[in-house]
Amino acid sequence: MTHEHLVQRFVDQELSAEERIQFVVALGRDESLRERVVELERLVLGASRLARPRVPQGFAVNVVNETMPSVPPVAAKRNRLLDRLWAPRAFHWNQAGAAAVACLLLLAVGAGVVQALRWRTASVVASSGERAAPAVVLVRLVVVQPGARVVQAAGDFNGWNPSQTPLEPTADGAWTVTLPLEPGRYEYQFVVDGEQWIGDPFAAEQSDDGFGSRNAVLDVRPPSGDVL
Amino acid sequence: MIPGAAPDDASLVRASLAGDREAFAVLVSRHAQSVLSVTTRMLGTADAEDVAQETFVSAYKALAGFQFTAKFSTWLYRIAVNKCHDALRTRRGGMVSLDSEDGEELAWKALEDDAPRRDLDRIELAWELDRSIQALPPLYRESFVLKHVEGLGYDEMSEILGINRDTLKMRVYKARTLLCRSLAHLEGARR
Repeated sequence: MTHEHLVQRFVDQELSAEERIQFVVALGRDESLRERVVELERLVLGASRLARPRVPQGFAVNVVNETMPSVPPVAAKRNRLLDRLWAPRAFHWNQAGAAAVACLLLLAVGAGVVQALRWRTASVVASSGERAAPAVVLVRLVVVQPGARVVQAAGDFNGWNPSQTPLEPTADGAWTVTLPLEPGRYEYQFVVDGEQWIGDPFAAEQSDDGFGSRNAVLDVRPPSGDVL
Repeated sequence: MIPGAAPDDASLVRASLAGDREAFAVLVSRHAQSVLSVTTRMLGTADAEDVAQETFVSAYKALAGFQFTAKFSTWLYRIAVNKCHDALRTRRGGMVSLDSEDGEELAWKALEDDAPRRDLDRIELAWELDRSIQALPPLYRESFVLKHVEGLGYDEMSEILGINRDTLKMRVYKARTLLCRSLAHLEGARR
């Protein structure tokens, strides 16, 4: 087990009794390790002591008023309105009244058409002003795992969630996936059969993952149109 | 329930479902600070209160589906985190606010709350830490906040976020590494 792995497990309070002995021995021998532990412990302590935001006065009352109104529920009001609308009633028309209603209807329809045209124009202008999508580069990851049942990739590109990036097997035992990535620096690992996290032996750069293995480092440059 | 003791969350949920406004008010009061803490760390103070309120409104609407075998706080955290995701998605261009005033306000609150133990180093660290947490990528930020600000274990976090422990550990590890890097200049200045 690497020292970095021990440090992370120590901070998470997950060291076994044997690991604690190994850790204390390592601390006694390595000053930079002591500094790293102090740095992490200070961070964790600082985070746990961050001021809790004050709950505004009347917060609970506002929530309750919004969710459980004491006035009759909206549904009851709506039902009463519907009842009134559907209740049979008699209308009395004369010629002048009918003409006035017809004119009002025509005006309303005309105004509706004009407003619809305005909305349509506005939506065309708005859509032409949208920002262009960020450029992406297609990156192909490949790993050889002939005996594997499932291979996935986890990294900065998917929040280290392997279930989001499964690789497809090829006939010769390799597994591959092509990812559209924005330019930037990404660390990743492969996950074999849902359990074993491994680095990428083909990666140009590696970094310690803090859990006993190595992250592959992928430096995605601005797009040239090719798959790396 | 012990007579005279504060009712537990499950009893309050049942009473709320039966239309008891006071019971729901007690539930909200009991969990408001935890929810507000998560929304503040995830979104900054500008949106935190609105999103905290939306969390409770959504919780009330979904209350009938609450599984009494689960912890109410875990269920509520899950709603709060989802609300934060929605809020982050609707922000312009998906960029996260790095408004420096957010951290400043909390740091000064710490000063007011804890006057006898005023410690400039601590205030400075709190201010910088708050800013740095809010500058983390959202997925790392939520894992770090739940683990180290809210003090949850990986099992409960896994239940809240629907993500396995290994993935969460990796996210927390990445967050810690990024934060240490971000705060390194404070250490350098102290030496």
